[in-house]
Amino acid sequence: MSRPEAIRAAALAAALCCGGAFAQDERLISGPGSTLTENKCKICHELQHIRRAQLSPGEWADNLRNMKERGTPMTDEEMRVILEYLAVYFNRENPAPAPSADTLAAGGDDPVQKLLNANACNGCHAVDKRIVGPSFREVAAKYAGDRDAPARLVTKIRGGGQGVWGAVPMPPNPALPEAELQRIAAWVLDQK
Amino acid sequence: MDHREPNESRRHFLAGIAGAGALTALGEAASLREALAQAAAAPAAPPGIVPNDAIKAGKVPAMQYHSERPITGSVPAHEHDFEFTPTDRVFIRNNLLTPDLDINALRLTLKGLVDKELTFSVAELQKAFQVVSMAGMLECAGSGRTNYQPRASGTPWGPTGGMSCPVWTGVRLKDVLAAAGLKGNAAHVAGQGGDPGAIATAAPVIRSIPMAKAMDENTLIAWGMNGAALPKIHGYPLRLVVPGWVGSASTKWLHTLTALDAPFKGTYMTGSYIVPKWPVKPGEKMPPDNVSTQAWPVKSMITWPAPDQELKGTERITVRGKAWVGEGSVDREDISFDEGITWHRARLERERDKYAWRTFTYEYTPQRFGHVTFLARATDDRGNVQPITPYWNPLGYFWNGLHRVGVMIVPA
Repeated sequence: MSRPEAIRAAALAAALCCGGAFAQDERLISGPGSTLTENKCKICHELQHIRRAQLSPGEWADNLRNMKERGTPMTDEEMRVILEYLAVYFNRENPAPAPSADTLAAGGDDPVQKLLNANACNGCHAVDKRIVGPSFREVAAKYAGDRDAPARLVTKIRGGGQGVWGAVPMPPNPALPEAELQRIAAWVLDQK
Repeated sequence: MDHREPNESRRHFLAGIAGAGALTALGEAASLREALAQAAAAPAAPPGIVPNDAIKAGKVPAMQYHSERPITGSVPAHEHDFEFTPTDRVFIRNNLLTPDLDINALRLTLKGLVDKELTFSVAELQKAFQVVSMAGMLECAGSGRTNYQPRASGTPWGPTGGMSCPVWTGVRLKDVLAAAGLKGNAAHVAGQGGDPGAIATAAPVIRSIPMAKAMDENTLIAWGMNGAALPKIHGYPLRLVVPGWVGSASTKWLHTLTALDAPFKGTYMTGSYIVPKWPVKPGEKMPPDNVSTQAWPVKSMITWPAPDQELKGTERITVRGKAWVGEGSVDREDISFDEGITWHRARLERERDKYAWRTFTYEYTPQRFGHVTFLARATDDRGNVQPITPYWNPLGYFWNGLHRVGVMIVPA
């Protein structure tokens, strides 16, 4: 990356991501579908946009349709899960139930999937298809045969980037501990 | 004059950043999906993005930010106590990210139902047409949203947040349209801005206005705010200024104008910035019979005193404020200091420009100590008066209820 590009990527990452000011913004009330909801909504806006809205199920349905029109990459099935979650936990007419496990989170108890979900990686990446960013399989293929791959991928996940896979930047993840970064990188490189 | 086409790479650049290709496709009734695919297929090199910290550096500390992605912010009513809104107090409302565009590279293209497509650089626009300056009101459709009960979704603008009246400099949209020549069936004009989304699938921000408003001599293609270049957050290098109408009509980072025979069909026209054709029961969802938002109804706010100020009971108090209406003119302003039991006519300053707010003043002599509230109520030239509670609507637009400011009157 040239210097102007690097500056631009850093500025974009800052504009997109936010750093410490949004640390408290990372999660919604845990419940079936909360992780998918976080992953999809965080691509474009803070979760406070959801947290401060108490809508009727009909209004949530309109709202989701509007977000899809505006470009949110989500399937009809994903939309259905998100609507069900929002209509239960952010409903003007009924108080939210107590937090419960997100039984619909991909991977269940798998520690790597938990990390990918908790950091919204799954909002933009999937194992075998492109969503916003490259599939994990494509990433693994790109680094195949590179001895420094784990360290390079750790740097990439921590710092974010832009230009390798297209114009859409990946936000940085500065708060992820080194051990978790290594765990994610190793898993991604295994997806050949 | 030289109307050179932008070079190919520049064209692709614009197509890539905001789906410029999408406008024609959508305007000519192709599906959104196809248009997005087309935009995504163009080589995409996004513009630089202005970080929020740089935007905030140009604003007063009193600016309150309601969100960071997208960035939105406004100052409270008592920070508007100026003849016109200083640049560092003008409200912020983005739908997407803030692009860092090059004034020398930007080209404005006119296309659609025109006799000939034209392309202008900013310098060419400045040379080719009469340059005008005018004060004009811009107000976000959702300004005042938090007053609605139940609460509607969207940016939580405070009781008086989300409006500004700076002085704009630019050329008249009608002059530029005339240069391109409008075809007989041209009835609407769509503006498209170069603000990119966080992802390539983000729909471009495109809004259209009817031709009558486009041809109004106060509708501008502007490059200046309060005598200086537009700040990046407010649309640098070029934006539309459609004064009196909901802010989203005033496309920022303007690069394409398209003449159409019908209102533009896209998510920012049909999914947002709409109100029910007939009022719905509060809490109900948007009915299929809805209309796009246009001009703001009559409204006013008190800019002095500030809430909770302590004022000496022995001195006369000049209550000051601003009154405006999206179309027409404000005819009178009334002030109450007894919670609306009696009303007293305020003095309205001369209207400087058709779409500028008008300053009002009222000399109040304290009659007792303790807490006093001032209420402000404007009336327009068609007899419309600010209501106690405006009609509720699902997206929380057009709040024009009475502004209320409480102060303490204390012994000298």
